[in-house]
Amino acid sequence: MNRFKMIDASRVLLLVVAVASVALPLLWVALASFKTPADLNQPGIIGFTPTMANWTEVLSSDIFAAVGRSVLVATVTVAIAVVVGSMGAYSIARFSTGGSLSRFGILAAQVLPPAVLVFPFLSVAYMLRLNGTLVPIIFSHLSFVVPVVTWFLIGFFAAVPKEIEEQARVDGFGRFDTFRLVVLPQVLPGIGAAAIFGFTLSWNDMFYGLILSPSNSTILPVAIAGFNTFRGVELGPMSVAILIAIIPVVIASFFVQKRLVQGISGGAVKG
Amino acid sequence: MARVTFDNVVKKYGDTTVVKGLDLELPDGAFTVLVGPSGCGKTTTLRMIAGLEPVTSGSIRIGDKDVTTLEPKDRDIAMVFQNYALYPHLTVRENLAFPLRAIRVNRAEALTRAEAVAATMGLSELLDRKPKDLSGGQQQRVAIGRAIIREPSVFLFDEPLSNLDAKLRVEMRTELLQLQRRLGITSLFVTHDQEEAMTLSDFIVVMRDGEIAQQGKPKDVYDKPNSTFVASFVGSPKMNLIEGTFSTGKFVSESGLTLAVSGVSAGKNILGVRPDDVVLEVGGKSPSRGRIGVIELLGPRAIVQVDASGHSLTAVVEASRMDGIVEGAEVGVGVRAGSHHLFDVATGLRV
Repeated sequence: MNRFKMIDASRVLLLVVAVASVALPLLWVALASFKTPADLNQPGIIGFTPTMANWTEVLSSDIFAAVGRSVLVATVTVAIAVVVGSMGAYSIARFSTGGSLSRFGILAAQVLPPAVLVFPFLSVAYMLRLNGTLVPIIFSHLSFVVPVVTWFLIGFFAAVPKEIEEQARVDGFGRFDTFRLVVLPQVLPGIGAAAIFGFTLSWNDMFYGLILSPSNSTILPVAIAGFNTFRGVELGPMSVAILIAIIPVVIASFFVQKRLVQGISGGAVKG
Repeated sequence: MARVTFDNVVKKYGDTTVVKGLDLELPDGAFTVLVGPSGCGKTTTLRMIAGLEPVTSGSIRIGDKDVTTLEPKDRDIAMVFQNYALYPHLTVRENLAFPLRAIRVNRAEALTRAEAVAATMGLSELLDRKPKDLSGGQQQRVAIGRAIIREPSVFLFDEPLSNLDAKLRVEMRTELLQLQRRLGITSLFVTHDQEEAMTLSDFIVVMRDGEIAQQGKPKDVYDKPNSTFVASFVGSPKMNLIEGTFSTGKFVSESGLTLAVSGVSAGKNILGVRPDDVVLEVGGKSPSRGRIGVIELLGPRAIVQVDASGHSLTAVVEASRMDGIVEGAEVGVGVRAGSHHLFDVATGLRV
């Protein structure tokens, strides 16, 4: 009896620690966005007079242009990644294309530090005269979003019964129509979750953006870093910008959390 | 409508040959049943007609068209799978209309035809449901409806009744037969259930180890099985097979069971007797005696196990003749005159 209580208690404790480690920084940032610079210099303070100064400053700045560019980059990246990734995942799931090498090796690129790839991207972008545009950022994001989306979808495709594909082929459809009309609708929830996951990866990337962005029109994470100025870190406005970056992702992840877990584990579990 | 012809068709998976040089013709407009134990190559044969399995060598024709290398979509066939394979994201109406989409029937007409088929299959109430909201029997009807909507040249059925419960299975069997008679479309039905095979077929093909063991009208196959394999596979309960020596007028098994049978051939043979042809005599003066073991009463008749000189024989006895037939009783054992089968000991083939 007491032992069970102990286990229960330790479970609760573990959860509290886990939640706190995620929620406290968020809470701190949320509070910081309403603090004056003076209050921010006293981190321990509980009671403070909230100010909207940070919000008005950031909201009237060109932060939304950066948000727009980030949305554009992430949307284009995800659109391409979903088309390429779903076909790749189907091929790997149904025909074991490339054997176990492609199935498990597909994530190998994730091991590479982005620093290895960024110079080639920069160099090629320069040679193609694309260095003033968002195109190189999109391509650099594809380098990690496509493999992850593909990996994510393998389990979903593997779960589609083979018979309904065979049925469609007997019913008079070719391979591609079968894929489009019968297989894809079965994995739509998975594709939705993969899209959100891929969007988040692109949305959160700062490294490639920092180096490949056109100098005066950057994406959101780089814009956030821009609050670290020669006068020091502008913590208040930066907190506002961080919240703008985080909130949509948190909301979207909340709605697809079940599928996210399924996708992240699915590629590995389905043998 | 068309006949289907197999010309020396071989199917190999790696080094394993699953179908060994099949020559077969499915009669035009008939209901052919392919039956055999699991692993005999019957489903592979069906899937080769559908185009879902490539043929290793040989050719398959539907009507006069060689379809050996054609894609399934170009073969003008319809298939019902064991698990029905309904499209989970589509309603019953859309499932039924789906094959029409492939041949570019316009949407309004496709849906009208789907409703017409639904009416013949008794699905009108369910048109807007998704497959997951249907019972097994209803799903089965949708799968069959989807197969008939396009009026293909050949119907293929891959054990479509085996997921249904016993009562529904018998009902669907009758319904399927009526439907096939009405449409007159060449059909091939694969099953491992010999009873299903006997009741459904105009033409039955018994397969074993990738080869045809026997083909013909079900009655002919039942009456004249050409080997001990077919003899014991077709018919329920199984035919009794006893090894022994046959001389004019009688058959003596190795353990000494003597049965009076007609005929003149002589030598070592396997005697086959259908359970219906085993005659049990209560009292009587027959020299062959047996002791009754387990009795399974089926209603109109009973399956009776008889232990006679170390042989366990199965007999089917009409309920009206069950007087005195009780577990443990001693009875005379005989064979209905002229009803026996003889097979060669070495080859198992009919003598």
